[in-house]
Amino acid sequence: MLKIPNHKSELKNKKIAIYNKPEYVYIPLVNGSDTDITVLVKKGDYVYKGTHLGKRKGNIKIPIISTVSGKVVDFVAKPYMNGLEVKCVKIENDFKEKCVETKNYEKINKEAFLELLHDNGIIGLGGAGFPTHIKYDNKEIKYLLVNAVECEPYITADYEVLKTHTEEILEGIDMILEINNIDEAIIAVKKSNVELIKILNNFIGTYLKIKIKEVPNLYPMGWERTLIKEVFNETYENLPIEKGIVVNNVSTIFAIYRVLKYNEPFTERVVTFAGNGFKKPQNILVKIGTQASEVINSVIVYKKVDEVNFIAGGPMMGESISTDDLIISPNLNSVLVLKNTHYKEIECLRCGKCIDVCPANICPVLIKDSINNVEKLKTLDVSKCVSCGLCSYICPSKIQVREYVRKAKEKIKESDNNENNK
Amino acid sequence: MKIISKKGPFIRDDNSTNKMMNNLFIALLPIILFAFYKNGFLPYKNGDTNVYGLFYPLIFVIVPLLTGFITETLYAFIFLKKRKKDLINYTNSSFSIFPGLFLGLILPINTPLAIVILGSLFATIVGKLVYGGFGKNIFNPALVGWIFVITTYALTITSKGGYLNPTEIDAVTTATPLSNVVSGIGEYSTKVKPYGSLFNFLIGTIPGAVGETSALLCIIGFIYLVFKKVLKWIIPVIYISTVFLLTLIIGLSNGAGIWYPLFQILSGGLMFGAIFMATDPVTSPVTKQGQIIYAFMLGILTVIFRYLTPYAEGVALSILTMNLLVFILDKIGVKAKSDKKYKYIPLVIISVLIVTTSIIASLSFGKKEKDFNIISKEANGSKTTYIVTNKGYSSTIKARIVLTDNKVLEYVVLEQNDSFYKSITNNDYLNTLINNQYNLKDLDTVTGATITSSALKNMLVNVINDYTNNLGFTETKPISKPKDFEVISKEENKNSVVYVVTQKSFGGKLKLQITLTNSKITEIEVLEQKDSYFDKIIDVKYIDKLIKNQNDLESVDAVTGATISSNSLKKAITNLMKEIENEE
Repeated sequence: MLKIPNHKSELKNKKIAIYNKPEYVYIPLVNGSDTDITVLVKKGDYVYKGTHLGKRKGNIKIPIISTVSGKVVDFVAKPYMNGLEVKCVKIENDFKEKCVETKNYEKINKEAFLELLHDNGIIGLGGAGFPTHIKYDNKEIKYLLVNAVECEPYITADYEVLKTHTEEILEGIDMILEINNIDEAIIAVKKSNVELIKILNNFIGTYLKIKIKEVPNLYPMGWERTLIKEVFNETYENLPIEKGIVVNNVSTIFAIYRVLKYNEPFTERVVTFAGNGFKKPQNILVKIGTQASEVINSVIVYKKVDEVNFIAGGPMMGESISTDDLIISPNLNSVLVLKNTHYKEIECLRCGKCIDVCPANICPVLIKDSINNVEKLKTLDVSKCVSCGLCSYICPSKIQVREYVRKAKEKIKESDNNENNK
Repeated sequence: MKIISKKGPFIRDDNSTNKMMNNLFIALLPIILFAFYKNGFLPYKNGDTNVYGLFYPLIFVIVPLLTGFITETLYAFIFLKKRKKDLINYTNSSFSIFPGLFLGLILPINTPLAIVILGSLFATIVGKLVYGGFGKNIFNPALVGWIFVITTYALTITSKGGYLNPTEIDAVTTATPLSNVVSGIGEYSTKVKPYGSLFNFLIGTIPGAVGETSALLCIIGFIYLVFKKVLKWIIPVIYISTVFLLTLIIGLSNGAGIWYPLFQILSGGLMFGAIFMATDPVTSPVTKQGQIIYAFMLGILTVIFRYLTPYAEGVALSILTMNLLVFILDKIGVKAKSDKKYKYIPLVIISVLIVTTSIIASLSFGKKEKDFNIISKEANGSKTTYIVTNKGYSSTIKARIVLTDNKVLEYVVLEQNDSFYKSITNNDYLNTLINNQYNLKDLDTVTGATITSSALKNMLVNVINDYTNNLGFTETKPISKPKDFEVISKEENKNSVVYVVTQKSFGGKLKLQITLTNSKITEIEVLEQKDSYFDKIIDVKYIDKLIKNQNDLESVDAVTGATISSNSLKKAITNLMKEIENEE
């Protein structure tokens, strides 16, 4: 864990702009990194906002929904936030914003709640895109932890959403607590985020079950395991629900609120467009499926820079994308364009800084040392890595330490597969 | 605009290996300047050396530094076939100046430059390049060079004066404060007093390796480097604390005060070694747990080396030893991360080690106070006769001491069994004791028979204490300390005068008979000397040369291999001439 420069001030006090009238949207047929999707529409079909375009195969059958009304014109491959091209449904927007017909619930009970989340395609907006209804599909939830930490530098999307919609979000949390019979909700905010804490305190008075927890200004504080360790002093094996905890990102809570209040499908989100490669960096409310280049050319505008990195996500965990027609997906919280910096990599001096900073408590430098020895790698807890990137960030020799850990993960997987096949 | 695809993270910490190494150099600068001040400037100011000697300490660190740099650059040029930009990149990231620089700082000032260069070559090639260069070596390269120089050329270096700079050669006869530690834990008067006070140890105005003596500057460097996030800070903190704790226990169980552990951590280059050498990132553990055990073990080993082996400066050897174990320590470090049990097991083992080491160490130096016994005490008129015993080297020493009117009259050893007893009689130590009876604390022991001589001293101290307590022995004016130079006798003949003089020199006093005819030196006869290399002086007829050039002694070079003795000869002549001048 480490305090790193946050670069968030340049977007401070800039209101969220809106860009929700794209001519075409490209809905990526993917959930998280799983592209194994059953397609439910064909070329020429007319779709509404909320129409299920596809459904994930396997156990987690989360639908992928349309975000505009209009005609399906094509299926094309477009760059997704993980750097790979995925199949997208290209829809021509008719700007009528017609919504798919929905069930009317007299009273929203737990069952209806789960169904609503599922039907409206609500997934975790923080990054991984884990289907939200699965998190709540549990009888013994003790705490709802609302993650407003947003520890990646540059990104202020969650911050702006919480600041702009404080009352709605608190109301949303209260609704979730009631429906799921949860005792307490905790909003985790960075200690340094004084303004936000002040705003929350202004509104929180009437909600006795909602508390604010100030957490240290460290990266990656927003990572689930770290946050739960900090707030509850608890550790878990696989999922927080083992300890009766559900963690939701602020933007996800806001999406849930819209669904519960207006029975409205999830079609748009706030995305941070920032970095020193942009003329007018800003938080923008964007229709899911919009091409980033479209938003940039009409609102943000590039600076004249020779070489840039185009990044989907934050500067630490984000992926470098080779073209700017990246598709805005539900779990993408930011688009960064940073001037390219060349780092000269030299020999490791074994300073041990990567071990000191590692939030997963593993030893990146030793993993790098034994990269060609799978047996040894297996003793080094490689799987605990969360790819936060701190090891590469801190390395004074500018070695891409995280890439070695990733490689190690692949090697272990490969060797395990080989053993299973035998 | 061009979009460059690469792996993240896309922001990086400002710190870099180059910056860290620059900061390391900055932290070393005051130490280098202090080495210049102490070993060059001060001797020059005192007139003990010439202009070359003034800058010699700087030359002494720059030469090995350049040697390392040139060696690695040539290596890259010839073997790695690096050219132009590649070559510059290589030298920028191989940090080739450091092994040489460190070597220069940890060697005795009297190491001949040729040997220093050889050491630097050895450090760079065997200590670093053999393993594949920067970041891959197992042992601290500078220490590899150090051990090569010290083991191969120890005699050459000692004969040139060892650790002593030109000024210290005149003032001190033992080498470094630690060098006598094997023969007992020592006393403040013999361990610290000859060099001033512990403050001198802190500042660094004590004999020692070129850049190792100033503990204060090392600590300042440590604070700077921690602030700049360069150091594995936990290593020096635990290392020094462990040595402090162990020597505190040993000191206390032997009746020594808090000065003792302070003396131990401020001498023998411990501060320098712990802060700059043990923390060498390449050769120390990367895991926190590994670093903690590494530092503990360093502390224990250093104390063991200091007490139980003849290697007084155990720091370098401890670090080299632990370098070998780094990979095991890191294995424990990894285990400790996932398995809490491993966090405590090593600590338990270490605590046990600390306790046993200190117990063994304190047992091996029994308490001296209890070794003394009064067999009989008899008063006869104004005379009081004591028969006393004291534990000696291999058996008990028995002696008779007679006192009268607050004075020790007679000191006769009745029984002893020390095969080195000859050095006591040679030194007339018993008479020295009687002569210095009012000032026994400051009296040195006899080299070669330390235990027996300190036992003899102890007996006298205890007898005087007993006498004072029972019969009112009051302190009178203390007899002044023996001077460096003394005229013992003067005998005037017809036209010649014969002087017998003593002069402090290597190993002890030099006793000379100098004959002057018509105010000119015509003969010098050496009556007594203790330098085993004195033959070299005789071999080159050095004394004849001195007589020949008596009006311009400066022009006579010292004899290689017996620098101190030859300088002392010169001094004896100069001092005598001064004395004669004063008389007139």
